[in-house]
Amino acid sequence: MMKGLLIKDFKLMKGQKNFFFLVVLVSIGMPAFSGDATFMLGFLPFVLSMFTLSTISYDEFDNGNAFLFTLPVSRTGYAVEKYILALLLGGGAWVFATLLAVAFAVIKGTANISEILMAAVLILPVLIVIQALMIPFQLKFGSEKGRLALIGAFGLLAVIGVVAVKAAEMLGIDLWELIGNLPAMGMGVMITLLLLAAILVLLTSMKISCSIMKGKEF
Amino acid sequence: MLKIEHLKKHYDNFSLDCSLEVRPGCVTGLIGQNGAGKSTSFKAVLGLISSDSGSITILGKDLREFTPKDRENLGVVLSDSGFSGYLTVKDILPILKNLYKNFDASFFAEQLRRFRLPPDKKIKDFSTGMKAKLKILVAVSHHAKLLILDEPTAGLDVIARDELLELLREFMEQDEERSILISSHISSDLESLCDDIYMIHDGSMILHEDTDVLLSDYALLKVDEDQFAKLDKQFVLRSKKESYGYRCLTDQKQYYMENYPKIVIERGTIDEVITMMIRGQK
Repeated sequence: MMKGLLIKDFKLMKGQKNFFFLVVLVSIGMPAFSGDATFMLGFLPFVLSMFTLSTISYDEFDNGNAFLFTLPVSRTGYAVEKYILALLLGGGAWVFATLLAVAFAVIKGTANISEILMAAVLILPVLIVIQALMIPFQLKFGSEKGRLALIGAFGLLAVIGVVAVKAAEMLGIDLWELIGNLPAMGMGVMITLLLLAAILVLLTSMKISCSIMKGKEF
Repeated sequence: MLKIEHLKKHYDNFSLDCSLEVRPGCVTGLIGQNGAGKSTSFKAVLGLISSDSGSITILGKDLREFTPKDRENLGVVLSDSGFSGYLTVKDILPILKNLYKNFDASFFAEQLRRFRLPPDKKIKDFSTGMKAKLKILVAVSHHAKLLILDEPTAGLDVIARDELLELLREFMEQDEERSILISSHISSDLESLCDDIYMIHDGSMILHEDTDVLLSDYALLKVDEDQFAKLDKQFVLRSKKESYGYRCLTDQKQYYMENYPKIVIERGTIDEVITMMIRGQK
């Protein structure tokens, strides 16, 4: 079932192959001009994993989901497949971009390779969390409302962040000092913790997406 | 194959209460006006919408226990949904191969040629007839046991409809255990294909009859005021006032032919029966 759905999504994305190549070109072209190889580390995986959302829109278009769920496709299987697709696209692009950035660094002799790898590893949890946020919104609200809801959610997160910082200030906790002390923990431990937290968020998001799909009527 | 018992679904301005049965080896038709509840019933059977109450048994299982794997035994056509229009026939081929264990690729390819469906054209650029043919072809290409077809012939010309009905007949001939539930608002399609017919109106079943009986025993009696007054009305299902007198629907044609040789008796077509059942007086 998974394979059938993945084939469907890749066939659907074939229609956007021009945009796909444009994105890849931009992310290769940018560092060639600016010399900043880290740009593509975030840009390429992020934009390519957005294609997952476009396959959800394609599925919804013209009430296509109704037919899709008369095929031997389960609702949870459908939701899980979108995460697999996002990880394939985002993960694939992440590996590709990292290799490319390293290649640039070697050719141009500009950036430090270990710095690039560090940036790549730090981007990974961010990438995972963004996927975890976007997919359930898209499934729940569809393409039009999903985008608005997502903007709202990011806004809400920003507000929560600001409130948290203010609250910390009022309580007399110095956040900067806290962050300043982080390297003491060791970079390796921190990244592992961040990744674990991101994966936990992703799994929770997947569970939410499954229940969103189960409750839908077509 | 399929049994629906008092399936109920309530919307703000519409209530459905549907019971029907599709027996093994039979083609069962569901006929009714637009908005009568055909699609709602189909969607409930397919688990696309939830139902408020009632029970659905499909291929021997309660619908709640019917798994996606079991759905490999169904072939489905929905009137308002299908594969994404951005895919081509060539694209959907590997999808079907991976979704259905019993997908018959050589049969599919053969039928594509028969119906002259282009493999490289996007489905959204297909004509209405081509789209309909592809939908049915997808439904019959994996040795399903039960076909559930919602308005598969809507919007088609006579020739295209005939070709599709032919494909369905061939499907039935291959295995005598196979069944079809088909809805349409074009009665002639159902008349030639179905073993029995249900009529749905305003969300409830108003008639269920074998097609043979419907065509042989149902009749329209055309009578003037005087004849109407004297008519034995125990087998009159519905009657309707007309300029000449009354038009009456009966399911006992023989009785009136024998006892009232002077009145005009016409064969009851499905269209006539529906019209009378919906618009006539009890």
